[in-house]
Amino acid sequence: MTTSAQTVVAPARAKTAAATATVRRKQGFQHGGWFVAPFLALFALFVVWPLLRGVYLSFTDANISGDAASFVGLDNYREALNDQAMWDALGHSAYFTLLVVPCITVLAFLLAMLAHHIERGKWLWRLCFFAPFLLPSTVAANMWQWLFTQGIGLFNETFGLTTPWLTDKSYAMLAIVIATLWWTVGFSFLLYLAALQGIPDHLYEAAKLDGANAWHRMVHITLPMMRHITGLVIALQALASLQLFDQAVVMMDFSPGPELSTRSFVQYTLEQGFTSYRVGYASAMSIIFFVIIAAVALARMALLRNREEGTR
Amino acid sequence: MAGSLGFAALGTGADALASGADTRVRYWNLFSGGDGANMIAMLDAFRKENPGIDVKDSTLQWGNPFYTKLAMAAAGNRAPELGVMHMGRVAGFSPGRLLDPWDEALLAKYGVRKEDYNPALWNRGVIDGKLYALPLDIHVQLCFYRKDVLKKADLLGDDGRMIPVTSTDEWFDVLKKAKSVQKKGLQTIGLWTNDQNFQWWFFVAFYTQLGGRWFNDDAPANTEVLFDVDKATQVLEFFRQHVTDGYVIPGAPTGEQFINGAPFTWEGNWSVPVFSGAKLDYGATPLPPVFGKQATHAESHAFVLPHQSGRGGATNEAAHELAAYVVTHALQWAAGGHIPAYTPTLSTAAYKKLEPQNEYVSAMDHQATEPKVWFAGSTGVLAQDLGPVVVSSTMGSAKPDAVARTMKSHLTKLLASKNPMDGKTAAQGGAVA
Repeated sequence: MTTSAQTVVAPARAKTAAATATVRRKQGFQHGGWFVAPFLALFALFVVWPLLRGVYLSFTDANISGDAASFVGLDNYREALNDQAMWDALGHSAYFTLLVVPCITVLAFLLAMLAHHIERGKWLWRLCFFAPFLLPSTVAANMWQWLFTQGIGLFNETFGLTTPWLTDKSYAMLAIVIATLWWTVGFSFLLYLAALQGIPDHLYEAAKLDGANAWHRMVHITLPMMRHITGLVIALQALASLQLFDQAVVMMDFSPGPELSTRSFVQYTLEQGFTSYRVGYASAMSIIFFVIIAAVALARMALLRNREEGTR
Repeated sequence: MAGSLGFAALGTGADALASGADTRVRYWNLFSGGDGANMIAMLDAFRKENPGIDVKDSTLQWGNPFYTKLAMAAAGNRAPELGVMHMGRVAGFSPGRLLDPWDEALLAKYGVRKEDYNPALWNRGVIDGKLYALPLDIHVQLCFYRKDVLKKADLLGDDGRMIPVTSTDEWFDVLKKAKSVQKKGLQTIGLWTNDQNFQWWFFVAFYTQLGGRWFNDDAPANTEVLFDVDKATQVLEFFRQHVTDGYVIPGAPTGEQFINGAPFTWEGNWSVPVFSGAKLDYGATPLPPVFGKQATHAESHAFVLPHQSGRGGATNEAAHELAAYVVTHALQWAAGGHIPAYTPTLSTAAYKKLEPQNEYVSAMDHQATEPKVWFAGSTGVLAQDLGPVVVSSTMGSAKPDAVARTMKSHLTKLLASKNPMDGKTAAQGGAVA
């Protein structure tokens, strides 16, 4: 009797258990959904919708006034790929990236080593190296604009130079690179510092016991342990640097720089959209840029996977 | 519900009470700094005389942000009653669709007639036979000089003004003499060698002195590029020589060096209040006619009526009245260095007393302007395309004749490109007079 009752009850119990699970899951989704909804709504409104709209506009000859645009197929893309000015602008962004990424990686690592090993006033070093990163780009850029100004700038004055940093095409991008290094190195510095602090002490102790000197410890323990974080720093910096815009524009007083030498891809896109009023064309260029950035990100992921497989 | 309605009613009531006005004119402009203060003073004077009109003025950021906002407002039918634009931009701003034409009879009622203007300037605002831009001023490029320095070099005439210069040889001779007496360590002349806007404006001035043309703009539409490479080369070589002969320190701040004692600087007339404020002993002439003919670059601030689908009635008339008032009461505006476009102002005793405005007022009759095409205008596509190219020649990174050819190819490309506002090229009659 009891057994049959049990056999009868058991599936029923299982059923109710399953039911409560779905209910719970449903409730979970409902609760979670409500929590995520505000974000999703904003995300859809300000990211997804503009993105889709941008793709659509890139196939039209839309202008800034927003009146009816006609479909032009791939014309914008065809024109963009033949637009020397666009490739030049891309070249400037790439040049900036090539200068900034290695410099910032090395500098951030050195600063992190310094802050990690100096015993006295540690907090002060950390603060000094990281603080510039907290400044808005406009503030940092404006400050460096003053420092670089010919005739009255502190930079030339200090080093006894007369270099036309902001007004000569051979120096303008370098000036932006220097300002950017100072301004953003703090972020990578912090990543490195955290990684350094994460290396277990026993590795160093064991190495010491085995008679490794400071150089050996650096080359055989610290650097290998930094490999992943270096990959991250390089990737993040490359993606950020390719999107060069605000500091360059502010330092050059909203011009494309001497002889267009600091006109970045983003700035050229903006000019096409808001000076030439060609919203359709600017949208097409944005999509092209999106593809380039995505390609860089994917290439990095592929590299990382290869490397992981290699180490295995 | 009732409460909120009551509150809303109270709000509007309070607004009307506060201004005591029934006609509202919203007015968008791009004047900040000294110009902004002068404009506000003129508006305040208007308010005092016309308590029935409520002027709501908004100052927006100069340059492209202003034009973007104005275009979008006009397209979305949220435009103000009155706006200000650079004259060169009007042709590209889709007159008839984003701009409404002025009612010349209404303007005349408030004292502004075509006869009171330089005809060429007035005609720049006329498109398809209708007036779309009412000029407030012209602002010109000037040759500023330090009287104290030039006196030492014996370069001042009996009237205390710089001796006239009529050829490039004479001009460089003047620079040489000035250099020999000037303070060491400063440049002799500020030329904005690295600035794409100034270099472009200077180019327009001297290219016009040589009689150079851009397009066949006398035809029904601009269909052909008439840009003269030889003349352009001559102008570019002239600029370059300032650098190679050592009269310019490329990149040196121009106005600051002038204040510190550099003998010359070429600047827009908006530098007048700066130099007068610094209590300098200086004069200002239009850019020297080194190629034999007077011509200096001139652009103009002009009132426009942004498109409103229901434009008309009292607010529209008030907009006309306000614009006419400011245009005819522009003496204050002249303090900012600009030359008032309403010529009766120029013959008033008060204006004639203004120094150095009275020295360069002749620029009104010798205006060098960009061609009247959709891609022209202050910080417009044309300037943005050709300015950096001119700079590359002046700075020596490209040869003048090669740069002149590049300029011609840019112009050819621009002429063939479509105005994004109406899909027509300049050759297809995209906005010509």
